[in-house]
Amino acid sequence: MREVVLGVLRGADYAVFGYFVALNSSYLIMIVLASVEFAKHLRRAPFAGADDMFRSPLTLPVTVIVPAYNEGAGIVPAVQAMTALRYPRFEIVVVDDGSTDDTFEKLRAHFDLVEVPRVVPAEVPYQSHVLSVHVPRGDQGALTVVRKTNGGKADALNVGINLARHPLVCMVDADSVLDPDALLSVAKPFGDDPLRVAACGGVVRIANGCKVVAGRVVDVRMPGSWLVRIQVVEYLRAFLMSRTGWSRLGGVVVISGAFGVFRRDLLVQIGGMAHDTIGEDAELVVRLHHYLRDRGDDYRVIFVAEPVSWSEAPSNWKVLGYQRRRWHRGIAEILTKHRHMVFNPRYGRIGLVALPYYLIFELLAPFVELAALVLLPLGLWADAIDIGFAWRFALVAYGYGLLVSLVALFIEEVSFHRYPRWSDMLRGVVAAVFENFGYRQLLALWQVWGAFSAWHGRPAVWGTMDRTGFDTHEPTEVETVGIKGG
Amino acid sequence: MFAVFGVAILVLLGVLVGTAAGIVVVRVGRRVRAKRRASLAAGPRRALLAFVAENGEEGSEGLIAIPDDAWRAALPAALGLLGKLRGDAHAALVSVFLHRGAARAALGELHARSAVRRARAAQLLGDLELREAVPGLCELLTDRDHEVRVVAVRALGRIGEPRAAWRMIASLDLRDPVPSLLATHALVQMGRGAEVTLSAALDHPHARVRAVCLDALGLLGATGAVGRMARVLAEDDVLDVRVAAATNLGRLGARGALQPLIDVLDPPHPDLLRAAAARALGALGAPAAVPPLAAHLDDGEFQIAHEAAHSLRRLGPPGVAALRDRDNDHCREALALLHPDLVGAQ
Repeated sequence: MREVVLGVLRGADYAVFGYFVALNSSYLIMIVLASVEFAKHLRRAPFAGADDMFRSPLTLPVTVIVPAYNEGAGIVPAVQAMTALRYPRFEIVVVDDGSTDDTFEKLRAHFDLVEVPRVVPAEVPYQSHVLSVHVPRGDQGALTVVRKTNGGKADALNVGINLARHPLVCMVDADSVLDPDALLSVAKPFGDDPLRVAACGGVVRIANGCKVVAGRVVDVRMPGSWLVRIQVVEYLRAFLMSRTGWSRLGGVVVISGAFGVFRRDLLVQIGGMAHDTIGEDAELVVRLHHYLRDRGDDYRVIFVAEPVSWSEAPSNWKVLGYQRRRWHRGIAEILTKHRHMVFNPRYGRIGLVALPYYLIFELLAPFVELAALVLLPLGLWADAIDIGFAWRFALVAYGYGLLVSLVALFIEEVSFHRYPRWSDMLRGVVAAVFENFGYRQLLALWQVWGAFSAWHGRPAVWGTMDRTGFDTHEPTEVETVGIKGG
Repeated sequence: MFAVFGVAILVLLGVLVGTAAGIVVVRVGRRVRAKRRASLAAGPRRALLAFVAENGEEGSEGLIAIPDDAWRAALPAALGLLGKLRGDAHAALVSVFLHRGAARAALGELHARSAVRRARAAQLLGDLELREAVPGLCELLTDRDHEVRVVAVRALGRIGEPRAAWRMIASLDLRDPVPSLLATHALVQMGRGAEVTLSAALDHPHARVRAVCLDALGLLGATGAVGRMARVLAEDDVLDVRVAAATNLGRLGARGALQPLIDVLDPPHPDLLRAAAARALGALGAPAAVPPLAAHLDDGEFQIAHEAAHSLRRLGPPGVAALRDRDNDHCREALALLHPDLVGAQ
């Protein structure tokens, strides 16, 4: 009997090891695919035609939707910066989702808003009540601010979609800082391939530690906290590289709610954002795939790696815990809701490759990580494995993970070179090492918690993001920013 | 098993050290190259800026005499200027490029094996606005690489040679066609000389071609094509094409567009077309459109009532009077947009 138990333990340890190797190998494959995509992107940048697109009267206009809940601290500079984006024609729709702070008052005072009667169609369903619609005095069309009762982010986005007047809709978080050409880059695929491109996501990078002047990131630096530095490396590896790799494979299933552009007509056809999931951004993309595959359309959902949207990452463990529980809960909810798509050949690469990958290497990864933390000591205690195997196992498993992070940093260095200081790059390398000691394990714990919350139907908790703000340099004179678009 | 782990650890260690070293090498290499390039490009960049500041009247000999390696270093700046300049300064800079043999080299590169080189050559020829390059660029409209085709379309647009219009239209009929909006913009850049070709292509069997030609005719202000466009609006089999016809008839602002647009305002025409016609009647600017638009202010379809209200607002006093006569949400919204200050004061 003891031999059987020992055999099972030994087998489980080997299986966990095999899983880690497969997981990191999949990351490495994505990074290699991403590097091919980056090389292509950089070689073609000189003739990509961004200036032509900016000058063309036919460039598709965009509605930028900014859901805001208690964003009084930063909403004015955020909207100011968005109004100065380089794009020929766009409008901004800020949806104040029942804020209890001074979000709306600040907007009203700064942009001299006046209330206008506006019919809000219900092309996509929303559950709250629209209280009022406002536009700047004497400047119709470029900025619209909607006040509504609180209904959550998905509900706010749906109201924004209903009010959007342009064929493309860009969803941006109120605390995001966009590069000046970000909108041009993320909307460009719709102009280049208008019949097929259904959605396009842009990369989100971490703004903590960066210098922001007049709503622009002007100096990219590694953050001061090791917790955020680790997230910088994680974002590079898991978001920038992984999503670019998936884009090359035609399997993008996540477009961050912080920065993504969609065709409005398709959003209307699929009913907008779902109210029943906390990962509404990813769920939207999966549902879009579902709808377009069912219709038999030839379409593309893509991801562009540059320029970027900068976002503030959690700088303390508590907020990070909320965020990661929420994210993993979102993955669990989406895979549960769309389980019939997983391994279903009807949904092509999405059903056969992307969603199974998310199931095996995203949803299950923290369970396996925690299992390894239990099984390895248990195997040692029961003499199923010896200490020599154990340390070699850990070294190879974590060493491979470290290698993946370093390769991601290398590709970043070769392609975008966003961190020009030697000290920042060194900190990135050290953060890639530190990630393995405590951070990954705690993350796994939160993720498992998030998944169980989804399966047990516990109420979703967003948590509060304690914003520390960016390193800003306030101009000595008040800068007036003209409102474009409309 | 231990041996396998041992090898794996050694390999990992080697690759880790190699990757870390790679980061250092790439970083040092980039800095050295950037420093060298900056030093080489400094002189030519100054000369280029002085040349442009003088509107290209002086300094061309100096630019032509710049050694090849220094010119290559300054090339991104020169190409950037080429794409932005207009008029005499552009012509003068083009002449510098021609004297340096750039056009000859680019014409040869149009047949390069690398798609990137073909696209770069096409981009340069477009920026040079070189009419001799039109046949070569037209060939690239059927290139196997999508991006090369896209660059060729833009380059032909910049050159603006109307004789290329037909080839451009033909390239819309491929299995993986060039983007419609790009092609439309390029066709518009070809100017009135392309009108006859565009008008003839309204009978093209491919819906996408007809839609592009309608957009181009509308943007060109081709009032001579109103009759043909009205026929497409009334008779085309494809809804998107009819919607494009409605939109562009409105854009033309010609009297002859009025009745065809009014004719499609009512059922059984599809709602999408009816909404487009309501919008187009506002763009048309004819007071005679007020009564038919006012009749749709209470239309059961949101978009039609909405577009009718906003079109009436655009039609000026007679349209505003019609809005004031009716009391519904669409009218209030449209009227409020005329006087947001007043609404605020209330």
